[in-house]
Amino acid sequence: MIRLIRAEFLKLRTTQVWFWLLLATIAVGALLAVANIAPHDGIRSEEKVPDLFATFAASPAYILVFVLGVLGVTTEFRYQTITPTVLQTPSRWAIVTAKMITYAITGALYAAVALLAEAAVGVPWLNSKNIPVHFGNSEVQHAILGTFGVIALFGIIGLGVGALIRNQIVAVVVGIIFLIVLENILLAIPVVKKAWPYTPNGGTQAILYTHGDATPVNGVHLLSTWSGVVVLLLWAFVPAILGAAITMNRDIT
Amino acid sequence: MIPVVRAEFLKLRTTQVWLWMLALAVIAGSLIVVGGLASDSVHTPRDVPDVFANANGTLLTAFVLGVLGITTEFRHQTITTTLLQTPSRWAVVAAKLFTYALVGLLYAAACAAVQLAIAVPWLSAKRIDFTLSDPDVGRAVFGPLLLFALFALIGIGVGALIRNQIVALVSGLVFILVINNIIPAIPVVKNSYAYTPAGAVTEILFPAHESTPGDVHLIGSGGGVLVLLAWALIPALIGAGYSMNRDIT
Amino acid sequence: MSAPGGQIVVDDLTKVFGGNVRAVDQLSFSVEPGSITGFLGPNGAGKTTTLRMVLGLVRPTSGRATIGGVPYRQLPNPTQTVGAALESASFHPARTARNHLRIMCTVADLPMQRADEMLDLVGLHDAARRKVRGFSMGMRQRLSLAAALLGEPQVVVLDEPANGLDPDGIRWLRGLLRHLAEQGRTVLVSSHQLNEVEEVADRVVILNHGRLVRAGSIAELSAGTDSVLVRSPNLQALHTALTGQPVTVEPVDPTAVRVRGMSAAQLGNLAFTAGVELHELSLQRFDLEELFFSLTSGQ
Repeated sequence: MIRLIRAEFLKLRTTQVWFWLLLATIAVGALLAVANIAPHDGIRSEEKVPDLFATFAASPAYILVFVLGVLGVTTEFRYQTITPTVLQTPSRWAIVTAKMITYAITGALYAAVALLAEAAVGVPWLNSKNIPVHFGNSEVQHAILGTFGVIALFGIIGLGVGALIRNQIVAVVVGIIFLIVLENILLAIPVVKKAWPYTPNGGTQAILYTHGDATPVNGVHLLSTWSGVVVLLLWAFVPAILGAAITMNRDIT
Repeated sequence: MIPVVRAEFLKLRTTQVWLWMLALAVIAGSLIVVGGLASDSVHTPRDVPDVFANANGTLLTAFVLGVLGITTEFRHQTITTTLLQTPSRWAVVAAKLFTYALVGLLYAAACAAVQLAIAVPWLSAKRIDFTLSDPDVGRAVFGPLLLFALFALIGIGVGALIRNQIVALVSGLVFILVINNIIPAIPVVKNSYAYTPAGAVTEILFPAHESTPGDVHLIGSGGGVLVLLAWALIPALIGAGYSMNRDIT
Repeated sequence: MSAPGGQIVVDDLTKVFGGNVRAVDQLSFSVEPGSITGFLGPNGAGKTTTLRMVLGLVRPTSGRATIGGVPYRQLPNPTQTVGAALESASFHPARTARNHLRIMCTVADLPMQRADEMLDLVGLHDAARRKVRGFSMGMRQRLSLAAALLGEPQVVVLDEPANGLDPDGIRWLRGLLRHLAEQGRTVLVSSHQLNEVEEVADRVVILNHGRLVRAGSIAELSAGTDSVLVRSPNLQALHTALTGQPVTVEPVDPTAVRVRGMSAAQLGNLAFTAGVELHELSLQRFDLEELFFSLTSGQ
């Protein structure tokens, strides 16, 4: 398994996707920090500082890591490198597991980079406004850990969706439209919107914001932090398991 | 030129992407209208336009369709056949622009028809006056006709410029969905929001709102149309003049 | 058939990829109507790049290529002038064979039934309404040919058309190419299957490392290359008998020599008169493969 994971990292390193998406992660992280501090209704007090570190995972920026995960498996089908991959490792479970671990770690690294970009822009700026940033603050820590968890899980969600759908373009388009457009529609429809806390965005909000019950989103109450983690884990594992059990086993021609 | 346009329609018809994207646009748009009508925020005729305007997320389907319309040719190397038959890159890009603008229009018409079929009886049951001749309602219902066409054009332009399918799609979607929405919150650049696709959509669909994101300066719906045209044609021109001329290997 | 003058002229063509890879280097040759020209070279010799430059898909670094005196991209009716089959993969997998050709008919303003006629011609009648996704290599190759011949072009350019065809298919292809050349069309066929080319081509253009190695008709290239293989347990006596004859003798192995300049009958007579025992006396025809290797090796 260790060798499979190392091979997956090597696959990732030897193409350029990771680099461009990392660059986008840095740029978006920095821009989000600016957008959180600059406007009049931006961060103006110490209580709002956790928002600076939650913003990357809370905004649609997580799709950068989602896309990385989707490409991690669909690129193999796109360029038919899946053939040597399954010839070397006939167990689809082993392949999917190795990829899941690889992309969870990669997701965490991207989260770290995004947080660093936010801190590099935000901390000096907030200090100059006499708003102290304490990393010992439990809410700040919550936002940082939450970002690591959410982004790592989105790496696996992307991977699972890729394994399930196999077709690169379909997986990317369906994934992005579902996450960004359809989930918001769900939230707007009465009755149906009660399902929203169980969507990836609902789970993400639950993980990032401790004051869940106090501030319902569009009239829908968020789950607790750990329930949010379970929701995202399900979104990560169910498609990956279906993918490994069914679609990855379909004929590779 | 006419045969090339007809061939583009045939290309579109002989695969299934158009059908899935159309289904997505119609269903998602209808759900948004249902959500708006079912929520308790619609009480007076003044609340009606936003019920339709809020469905603007479905414009992405037109963008995706446009991007696929040109990048699929590079992906599956059918571009070789296309360029052997029509060596002028300008003619190829122009035919695609024309075709997809028309297809965008048809998408919007289908969406509007279904949305009206849902909204008209519902509003009358709620005893809320509804008339298409009201300028704000007309704008919210028929504005998408123009917007879908323009977003399909942007898709073609971006596709012609970038050629690589996945790169064009991901960078296009990340720009529209992530970066574009950050712009109004950033002081130095926020006034450029009016000149971005999302800003232009706001101009065209929500002209009456005072609370535009970040209180940015806006330029009116005519300006919005020009902005979207520029977003479509500038990449299309660079695409036809430069990218499409690069070696096809 | 469209306007005459289907001569392909490649004039001092050079293509440099990425600043330092010279895929094609100052290449000049011409391809004449009414004949089949084989375009030969080892893998990576620059054949496909040359064909793509001829077809306006790859921009030459310098030099130019014309078809009937006109660069491809300025042809008024390209489909009716040049038919090209480049790669077997250039189809949308979810589109049927028939629809692929119908799209081409639409662009070229050809009647739609041309699509069905061509599918019949290449033997894909039964697969016409199947998606290309499920096609074998040979079927894709046939569909490429159908696409190339759709506009009854004066010039036919085929890149490795025999790839993926079974022996029946290759025989059929050979007949088709011969038929096209007899109609006065220009046929340029790249291939690495030398025996196929030798059997069907009138002329060959041989390329190596992007440079022209040799161009000419098969007759020119083979002139004076026939030889006779003579095997004998007593080569010494044979050498003595051949002394003073207008022949060249080259050793093949310890019991055989290759003799040029004399027919098998003459050699047999000579050996008989000299009382030299022969174990083999066979005519060695011109071998394109041998010529090819002698021209392209060690460069």
